[in-house]
Amino acid sequence: MVQRTSTMRLLGIALLLSLPAPIIIVAGASFNGGGYIQFPPDSYSLRWYVETFTDPRWPRAFAVSLGIAAATAVIISAVNFMAAYYVVRYAPRIASALELAIFSPLFFPHAAMGVAMVAMVGQFGLLGTAPGIILAHLVITLPFSYRPIHIAMRSIDPDLIRAANVMGASEWQALRDIVLPLCRSGILTSLLFAGIISFDEVTVTMFLIGPNITTLPVQIFSFVQDSASPVLAAISTISVLVTFVAVMLLDRFAGLTFFVRRDAA
Amino acid sequence: MITQEKSSPGTVLLILPVLVLLVLFFGSVIHLFSNGFYDDGEFSTRYFRQIVNRSDYHMVFLRTVVSSLVVAVLSVVLAYPIALLLWRADRWRNTLLIVVLVPWLVSLVVRTYGWIVLLGPRGVINEFLAWLGIIESPVKLMFNDLGIIIGLTHVLVPFAVISILASLLEIESNLEEASGILGASAFQTFRHIVWPLSLPGAFTALMVIYLACIGAIVTPILLGGMTHNFVGSQIYQEVMYTFNMSKAAAWSICLLGLSFVSLLLLKSIERRLLKGRN
Amino acid sequence: MPVSAQPPGQDASAPGSIEIAGVSKRYGNAEVLSNVSLGIDPGSFVTLLGPSGCGKTTLLRLIAGFIESDGGRIRIDGRDMTGLAPQQRPIGMVFQNLALFPHFSVAENVAYGLKLRRLEAREIASKVERFLDLVDLAGLGDRRISQLSGGQKQRVALARSLVLEPSILLLDEPLSALDLQLRKQLQVGLKDIQKALRTTFVFVTHDQEEATLMSDKVVVMSAGRIQQAGAPHDIYVSPENLFVAKFIGDLNEIPARIAAVSDGRMALESALGHIEVPRAAARGFEPVQGKACSLCLRPEMLEAKPASALPAGGAVQVKAQVVDRFAVAGATRLLLTCGEQRLSTVAMTHAAAYLPAPGEICQVSFDPGHVQVFEPLGADMAKAFGERA
Repeated sequence: MVQRTSTMRLLGIALLLSLPAPIIIVAGASFNGGGYIQFPPDSYSLRWYVETFTDPRWPRAFAVSLGIAAATAVIISAVNFMAAYYVVRYAPRIASALELAIFSPLFFPHAAMGVAMVAMVGQFGLLGTAPGIILAHLVITLPFSYRPIHIAMRSIDPDLIRAANVMGASEWQALRDIVLPLCRSGILTSLLFAGIISFDEVTVTMFLIGPNITTLPVQIFSFVQDSASPVLAAISTISVLVTFVAVMLLDRFAGLTFFVRRDAA
Repeated sequence: MITQEKSSPGTVLLILPVLVLLVLFFGSVIHLFSNGFYDDGEFSTRYFRQIVNRSDYHMVFLRTVVSSLVVAVLSVVLAYPIALLLWRADRWRNTLLIVVLVPWLVSLVVRTYGWIVLLGPRGVINEFLAWLGIIESPVKLMFNDLGIIIGLTHVLVPFAVISILASLLEIESNLEEASGILGASAFQTFRHIVWPLSLPGAFTALMVIYLACIGAIVTPILLGGMTHNFVGSQIYQEVMYTFNMSKAAAWSICLLGLSFVSLLLLKSIERRLLKGRN
Repeated sequence: MPVSAQPPGQDASAPGSIEIAGVSKRYGNAEVLSNVSLGIDPGSFVTLLGPSGCGKTTLLRLIAGFIESDGGRIRIDGRDMTGLAPQQRPIGMVFQNLALFPHFSVAENVAYGLKLRRLEAREIASKVERFLDLVDLAGLGDRRISQLSGGQKQRVALARSLVLEPSILLLDEPLSALDLQLRKQLQVGLKDIQKALRTTFVFVTHDQEEATLMSDKVVVMSAGRIQQAGAPHDIYVSPENLFVAKFIGDLNEIPARIAAVSDGRMALESALGHIEVPRAAARGFEPVQGKACSLCLRPEMLEAKPASALPAGGAVQVKAQVVDRFAVAGATRLLLTCGEQRLSTVAMTHAAAYLPAPGEICQVSFDPGHVQVFEPLGADMAKAFGERA
């Protein structure tokens, strides 16, 4: 019996470690001194990182991705904060209907979502522009950002707002002084989660780029198809690092239980 | 106490932005349908006929559905030991969770690239096998269905872990203890308590992963090449190479229909499977 | 002194008065308040008392301005409050769950309202100190809310409201979560503070003892209506209907029938036999021969006497058997049966007191002038007692 349990545990550990393995191998290969991908590396050098930064396309795509992720995260968190506040405080009756609508993009296959977003963004003449990509990313991140904010909002005792009102706070003052600080961890989770998703999104985004703008993952995608340069390993490692830092920030400032607790505050 | 708060004027504006986004989303879906069903301003099923009548496209649909099912089942099976490990690791759970979350959140394209590095003809695995002397010429590990399934599974296992773990964490730990006190062996406890209670999370994972797979583009293209097409790769080609938006829309509608039907089927299986439980 | 900006000169009436005129409120089909009118004097301690669901909390929330009435008017300090948000009303409120801001310290909680009024930092600090002192929390200003005991939290909530010097303080069952000991202590403390500040307190509770102990005026509510409003003593001595009589204090309620009605008197038929009482004993209804009614007597109006005792002049005397005897704080309660009818008596315990043992037969005597006769309860109000039982 004990045998079976520990076999299961060993299997679990092996499988767990296999999850980051490809990423670690890429990171290892990025430090290879030779002219092609090699793991373990036979010599160590930073030449591929240097090359990444000297080719202007990579820093540019990186900056675009960061900018779009930041804009998406801030806008979608603000949008959802306002919506969640309104629903929880004034319209609890429409809460479940709104939730259904907000979560519906989740059941939309990404490939179809890409075509639908081309249609939407194209309609506004925003194909190949940053606002176009941001617009699509807002739709994609909508459900992921709504959930943590709504959960945080719901856990605020409505009497706290009433108490602030009685003490003389206007609607907006109560929102600023009471609701906003008490939603802090939900908002942080939304900001970082939406930011990560936007930064890493490729399936839909690749339909929306243009000659003047591309994001880091889309650029990696197009390079992977016809190049085996270790530059890809270097830039991939940088991209992983960004995600890793965001996850650590999330862990530090809001905690990760949100991901595994159905109703965590 | 019913608390229907009276709202100050203007607060209704708060919900406006989210409604705008939803209108844009649902508007784009409608647009998608009109793109697929209209040709020269008239209702037409021309593009659908083009898709349905080609036998090589049947293979594309079949490959998408079968591979997605295999990936979904495989992901859930492989996720179980990891989820159980995390569930029992109280003190280390957060650290281990990071090991699951980071690969999950890292860009799809980067993770798939990792598998190219591993599976390629001159990739890490082939080089390693050659070094061991097991093989003389490289084994074909990618640009086939195998590559796609390996890549998609690896991409989606973390989600299955998270979903199953969420179910497991809802089990009150004293339930397991109680079962132990009643004399159940560890395996019996697992079979009668842990396994049934983790099923909802596993099933959610199965459905979400299946949906993610049939809509995938990046992994099938990179690991399957242009010969082993998914519906997603087909859509990508219509948009990027033949610039045929109407046909891409028709493909997308087929994909939507496919996911809708699959979802209904999976839901009814879930209901039957979880019957008699609340 | 009212804190909110009031147009000067508009109102001459004293701050702290409330006038409620014909207020109604419904949620869907359920009428929670129907045509409620009530006047509250400045500086008084008024309690809204009633079972859960009687509308008392709704009335409080209407005064606070969280919800809007469907009809009628509420005036505070002579000013019509219709359409005014809570922040525009000269009120403070202590919530049932206290609603202390968990992300603020004790001092920050108390200072919040003052900061909103843009007072100078020095003035805020001195006021916060003064009011923390008033509620016995001096020196605890830096504590987090989570570090406080239940009683301390209570007092923070009170200080936070009072520091704004509202002309009216609304309290929504603020003591209900506390244990009995602490509760008694805070009841006295609350009353002392109210007397010192001369602020109007409107206090909601379902505890009649708490209500009678603290209030200048008790407003008994049931089924969305005010059943009676008045000084605790008046309500106890002359309740206007059976609900009030039963809700405030203990009561012997004996089903009876009106056998005869004459000019100044009426005859009642009940388990206590045939009794003649003044016609004025009928409260709130016109006595008609044959009508079913409730004959009511407070326990202290019944006197237990030895079985051999002779009836005193004018008193009614019936035979009863002792079921049980309890000693309660200087008094003795007897539980008796008179046929099928249960009776209870209470009398001060003293050296010469008659104390029959359970099983003993005795006489119960009372003055028919103390009898009060009511109409039976309607179904909606009877429900309230069903819940309490």
